[in-house]
Amino acid sequence: MKFLKSLAVAAAAVVALGAGRADAGNVPGVTDTEIHIGQWGPQTGPAAPWGAVARGTEVLFQMINDAGGIHGRKIVYHSFDDQYNPARTKAGVKELVEGGPGIFAFVGGVGSATGMAVKDYLNERGIVWVGPAAGSLQWITPPQKNLFAVYPLYVEEAKVLVDYLVTQEKKSKIAILYANDEYGKNGLQGAKGQLARHGLEPVIEVGVGRADRDLKSHVLKLKQSGADTVIMWVNPTHAVITLKTAAAMKFAPQWVSSSTLSDAPLMTAISGGLWKNVIFTSFSELPSSQSPLMLDYRKAFDKYAKKGERWGVFFLAGIAFAEPLVEGLKRAGRDLTHDSLIAALESLKDFQGIMGRIGYGPGERQGQKEVFVAKTDETGLKVIQLSDWMRPN
Amino acid sequence: MDGLTPLLQILVSGISVGGAYGLIALALAIIYKTSEVLNFAQGDMAMVTAFFAFSLLVPLGLPFWAALPAALGFAMLVGAAAEFLFLRRAKEPNVLGLIIITLGLQMIIFGFASWKWGADPKDMPFFIGPFDVFVLGGLIVSHLEMLTLAVALAVAGGLALFFRFSKLGVAMKATQQNRQVARIMGIRTRRVLLFAWVLAAAIGALAGLLIAPTGTVDPYMMWDPMLKGFAGAVLGGMTSLPGALLGGLIVGVVENLFGFYVSTEFKSVVPFAIIILILGVRPSGLLARHYVKKV
Repeated sequence: MKFLKSLAVAAAAVVALGAGRADAGNVPGVTDTEIHIGQWGPQTGPAAPWGAVARGTEVLFQMINDAGGIHGRKIVYHSFDDQYNPARTKAGVKELVEGGPGIFAFVGGVGSATGMAVKDYLNERGIVWVGPAAGSLQWITPPQKNLFAVYPLYVEEAKVLVDYLVTQEKKSKIAILYANDEYGKNGLQGAKGQLARHGLEPVIEVGVGRADRDLKSHVLKLKQSGADTVIMWVNPTHAVITLKTAAAMKFAPQWVSSSTLSDAPLMTAISGGLWKNVIFTSFSELPSSQSPLMLDYRKAFDKYAKKGERWGVFFLAGIAFAEPLVEGLKRAGRDLTHDSLIAALESLKDFQGIMGRIGYGPGERQGQKEVFVAKTDETGLKVIQLSDWMRPN
Repeated sequence: MDGLTPLLQILVSGISVGGAYGLIALALAIIYKTSEVLNFAQGDMAMVTAFFAFSLLVPLGLPFWAALPAALGFAMLVGAAAEFLFLRRAKEPNVLGLIIITLGLQMIIFGFASWKWGADPKDMPFFIGPFDVFVLGGLIVSHLEMLTLAVALAVAGGLALFFRFSKLGVAMKATQQNRQVARIMGIRTRRVLLFAWVLAAAIGALAGLLIAPTGTVDPYMMWDPMLKGFAGAVLGGMTSLPGALLGGLIVGVVENLFGFYVSTEFKSVVPFAIIILILGVRPSGLLARHYVKKV
């Protein structure tokens, strides 16, 4: 019996060893000359404006490939249109992972629901995923070995905004308008908590239902509360309806919004020019930034981007979310496996591209924790940076 | 503001948005009245018309006096096409089958609009500024709100006269009550149905064009107004036109009161509560007489 047992253990060890060896020499999505990286994103349908994220990433990879790639390998980029539909995301990811050369890592990926649809699937296979394009707590609760979040948490972002409004703008009558979903409630939670730390509370909290199109009672509540500042944690359409309704009700507080509404030219265009003097947070340098790295990206944009592409915040975000992955691939060296990439990513401390400082560690999967505050000007088209990178007090 | 002003303000706001719901309710009621079909595509037919108007106004730069009538013409074409190409093709049609066809139609229109214009929401210009207002005491009423209510009242009045006094109107009623007998009596029921769809499409489109400047033009813009218009139509009794308008107005007022005094998060649920309540308590609605088919 004892003999049988040890035989079984030995057999298991041999199998494990063999499997390990096969894995080291044959990592899905990695060949001698190529690294296959995937991303989903809406290119058609109602969420299509966010599709620029996936196209931004593509330009970064082209730029890297033209400079010789990473350790002798070129990045082969596979992006697909999931129309912001989780069912399509899952089908597309499966197709990429299980067909052809496979996928070594995913990057970006617009949407919380779409990402949640494939989170477990990627986890089970140990496929590394860097920079989901949403500031959701779901990515890091609990932290997953293979999932590296970049986007600062909405909760933290809201705290920074409150710090800025209270200490710099000396505001005390602050109202919160939030979407009645996970995104909106994260913003509400952060803003409320931080107001309390300043000894304040919101003058009013107003929730917006997902499908609601008529926000008159919402705006009247805000107006009646005597608020001089309104923090909005809502989607672009609700922000536009709010501003239009408020304009018709002659209510003109300081409008404040999350980074999801930071595409000033877009917001100005769809609000009929009402998106002026709006304060918001930004998680990456502004499109107008003249930093050397930004100028390099700008050149790559001019060279590789398709005609009609706009140098906007979503496009830039596609570059930004992929920066830590590229840095990780460089640090992992020629011997590229999931484990070596994860170890390399965990070695990132205060790494900075065009976003704020990013750092990971064992068990630490929230990369960026800082944002800065900015404001649109009188035209609503130009953005002025108001603060340095900030973390909540 | 004292306690009374917000109440008045909420009533005024509710009535004006209720006017838009009323228009949709009227459109639904017209089709229901003639064929007992509930048109689930009504909202998105209005949405696609708003996009069409936007395309004429902004990329093409047409003036309002040309673009808005053209948009209404487009809406009528959509209505005619819906009836002629889709509903009329149904083999051995029953009401349920036809309703499901309208659901399919809604998906087709939604998909088309998402594909054609979906990339960015659009800002709809309008011939009266959405922020121009009358101020009466502490009360603020925008010109657009006044126009919406005026259009709703005018359309409802016109329809009431039409169904009462015109031959076509009476023929439409007869078609609903008994299509076979109507046909025997010499009514061209197919044409009547086609006309009902054209008329309903135009009225629904008015709602879409009046709602568009208050927010953005996007594929989802009519979902919420459509459901509220439906609630209004059920409340009014589905076959009663004054009832449809009244139902729309009541939904607008009640949901705004609820939003202001009770909860904004659950404001959009109110119309559904109204539907359930009405179906339970008075299924024929406020103003419709229950028409019982005798076998």
